[in-house]
Amino acid sequence: MSAKSYLEETHTAFGHPKSKILQWLLTIDHKRIGIMYAVVMFFFFFVAVGIGMTMRAELWEPGKQLVDPHTFNQLFTLHGVIMIFIFIVPGIPAIFGNIIMPLMIGAKDVSFPRLNWANFWLYVIGCIVALFSLWGENGFADTGWTFYAPYSLTTSTNVIPVLVAAFLLGMSSILTGLNFLVTIHRLRAPGMDFFKMPLFVWGIYATGWIQLLATPVVGITLILAMLEKYFGIGIFDPAKGGDPVLFEHLFWIYSHPAVYLMILPAFGVMSEIIPTFSRKEIFGYRTVALSSAAIAGIGYLVWGHHLFTSGMSDLAKTIFSFLTFFVAVPTGIKFYDWVATMYKAKIVLRAPMVWALGTMITFVIGGLTGVTITMIGGDIHLQDTYYSVAHFHYAILGGVVFLMFAGMHYWFPIITGKMYNEKNAIRAFALIFVGFNLLWFPMFIAGYYGMPRRYFDYLPEFAIYHKIAFVGGVMLVIGLLWMFYNLIQGWRKGEPSGPNPWNATTLEWHLPMAPAPLDNHTKVPYVDFRPYEYKHGEPVVKFDYETMRRID
Amino acid sequence: MAHEYVPEVAIDREGNEHLVQGWQDDYFGGKMGFWLFMFTEVMMFSAMFLTLSYYYTLHPQDYTEASAHLNRLLGGFNTVILLISAWTMGLGLLKMRSGDVSGAKKFILATMFIAALFLVVKGFEWHEEYEHGIFLGHGHLIEEGYPLGKKLFYGMYFTMTGLHGFHVLIGIGLMIWLLKRINAGKVTPEHHILHFNIALYWDLVHLIWVFVFPYFYMIGAAHGH
Amino acid sequence: MATNEQTVDTALYEREKGTYHKILIGLLILTAITFVQPHLFLAHATFEAQLLIGFAKAWLIVAYYMHLKSEKPVIGIMVAFALMLVLFFFVTTIIDVHHFQFTDESYITNGTLK
Ligand code: HEM
Repeated sequence: MSAKSYLEETHTAFGHPKSKILQWLLTIDHKRIGIMYAVVMFFFFFVAVGIGMTMRAELWEPGKQLVDPHTFNQLFTLHGVIMIFIFIVPGIPAIFGNIIMPLMIGAKDVSFPRLNWANFWLYVIGCIVALFSLWGENGFADTGWTFYAPYSLTTSTNVIPVLVAAFLLGMSSILTGLNFLVTIHRLRAPGMDFFKMPLFVWGIYATGWIQLLATPVVGITLILAMLEKYFGIGIFDPAKGGDPVLFEHLFWIYSHPAVYLMILPAFGVMSEIIPTFSRKEIFGYRTVALSSAAIAGIGYLVWGHHLFTSGMSDLAKTIFSFLTFFVAVPTGIKFYDWVATMYKAKIVLRAPMVWALGTMITFVIGGLTGVTITMIGGDIHLQDTYYSVAHFHYAILGGVVFLMFAGMHYWFPIITGKMYNEKNAIRAFALIFVGFNLLWFPMFIAGYYGMPRRYFDYLPEFAIYHKIAFVGGVMLVIGLLWMFYNLIQGWRKGEPSGPNPWNATTLEWHLPMAPAPLDNHTKVPYVDFRPYEYKHGEPVVKFDYETMRRID
Repeated sequence: MAHEYVPEVAIDREGNEHLVQGWQDDYFGGKMGFWLFMFTEVMMFSAMFLTLSYYYTLHPQDYTEASAHLNRLLGGFNTVILLISAWTMGLGLLKMRSGDVSGAKKFILATMFIAALFLVVKGFEWHEEYEHGIFLGHGHLIEEGYPLGKKLFYGMYFTMTGLHGFHVLIGIGLMIWLLKRINAGKVTPEHHILHFNIALYWDLVHLIWVFVFPYFYMIGAAHGH
Repeated sequence: MATNEQTVDTALYEREKGTYHKILIGLLILTAITFVQPHLFLAHATFEAQLLIGFAKAWLIVAYYMHLKSEKPVIGIMVAFALMLVLFFFVTTIIDVHHFQFTDESYITNGTLK
């Protein structure tokens, strides 16, 4: 057994490079690839946060402050494209799906490590192509991240490179999902059947299916839009007989399941953290697992609720509204299960748990406001207002991104072998939580009173909401910087954490050392236990780390 | 360098041994991965068929008339040879699995030849359509007063046969690569997952044509010349 | 592992070759039907007839040429799941356009190329 961690040695796609940098660039080790994804993604995340704050600053007062209307259009497009295609769609799967999922099922790596490596670089190329159009002659696209036809076909800005980029990023996402699906089917440790998998793996599995089956639809849609633009084949251009509603259908056939692709792994993170810090077995394991599958399944069937105001037939509207309500059911089941897990438990309030609990509040707001705009009548009023913008920021930022942060605190010891400063982590959380609510809650009200989205200007009576939002935004950004500073300092100078600081039960905490060794578990254990077995607040299953046999 | 698979066992509480599946040499995993990949292709072409059907619902009459003008002789010829190529590809795989490597190579070459022939015929067909003033951004398709349904039909016709042809081209490339790997001794009767998957890919290319052909060429055949 | 066996089996060729030939003949016959159908039968429902033949051909290809029949069931289940989704996409979207509410006034249903 080698005592070196994955940070000290690695496997590469080809050759035996001596240089440390090349070893990182060529690595096929799933843990290192996950870290590289994180670096690129968070770089872009901060760029997009900067753009978001620029827009907020512009909206400080009615009229023009910083940027002109056309630039504002480009800003929200760039913000949306980065946040969606570059940041949150690869999101939790690219980081924790890569780093943690194989450890959780006792695999040595994903099924196709070289493909994983190639995917990462495909992703990087996609990012570069997206940015490339910034410096083109006509500037970045101004269509919004949805690229709706026919405007996207007629605008003079550089839409095509962005479409190409979205296609490449989509390919990378598809192949990552494929890789995870095969990994989960083939490489589980002996004895681990589907209902002995940790719930995060269930989340990744359901996500894999969405990546695989939904993404190609938007891929081909983008290709069709390019053909339309260059060859005038006619299919999205009303002047040639094309129907823009078809574009919206095809776009949302992907992009709606895509929001479940973001949230399902986040729910998985939640389902790991809650039992661990409640020191109790999760309530209703099967219902949590199957509701992930159900959300993925139903998620395919509801794309039409984005089209309520775009000229879809009334019959289809009714069908889609009806179906959409069903998504709330499995989501509700999950929430009740989490709450029931915490009931009468001795909860340990460490940073990951605090993040998870905070998310329960913000995501419930995001989720329930979603139900209100499921109703066609309500949606006619609220569509394209700040109400829906606040809704999806609550769901994505206050749900997915918050849980991603929770996961960063939770799995930090495995990845770095160190521990961050707990106090600062909590304080940063508090600042972010308050800032976030100040930033987006007023927007529900403004939207309800009719503040339209994607506007660079507004009526004076909305000023107060925008001012509060700006202040909240500043708090949020300071909190983010503080949190990242704290984590980075933790990695550099933190106390060694030991392999299982949280007394957690799933396999990734039964590694011989922290940070994880290159080849993961010394020996693969035989799994004949459920993932979260606690008795009197102590883990039930114990291993002899030499032989990986149970000794309890 | 990639790690070698070290056979490993997990031992349960009764002391029974269970073999651990590594990612290396995972034959079934390789197959499953390729099936999943084919789903993405299926979804892409489904979305195009969906587009096609969407406008068929709006313009059924235009579609049948436009379809009547396509060349069923060349299209039909291509249908038959593609079908035969699927057969040769399958036989090649059988040869490989039964240990006859040089026989397998001959069948792969035959498949490649047919695939190339398919593209040549397709080229003639497109040329002929061009001559009749039907081509992207050309002739009737930009003419004032031309029926929208026909315009859309031909737009999708060139898109879909074009993308299908692109897949044929990729197929030829894959087969060249396969032959190289066979010559290099990397694909052998004991280790033929690459051959298996490329054969699957070729069947998929054929499968798509099975639907492209009737949808474009045959729906207007009864009105044909 | 049983599923990972890639042993050389010389008898295999003779055994499976027969299947391949039979399927080829089946597919050729179906293709011939495709060609003559519009002139012989169901001429008013050419589209449906052609689609039906297409599905029959597809089934032969997937089941035998792509070996789905002899594959483990898990792949079959995955295929079925993917196809169900495709079906749903088609049915819903076509229902929508079938009930297009602006047929009389819309340019895309009444206009011609400008
Ligand atoms: C961190 C603080 C953030 C701020 C200050 C912020 C701010 C904004 C603002 C001002 C808009 C424009 C609204 C409009 O006028 O229509 C916007 C739109 C948007 N934001 Fe954010 N945002 C933040 C985080 C995020 C995150 C984390 C995501 C997703 C991962 C996200 C996704 C989007 C999307 C998709 C749009 C719509 C773009 C479009 O209309 O095309 N944002 N955001």
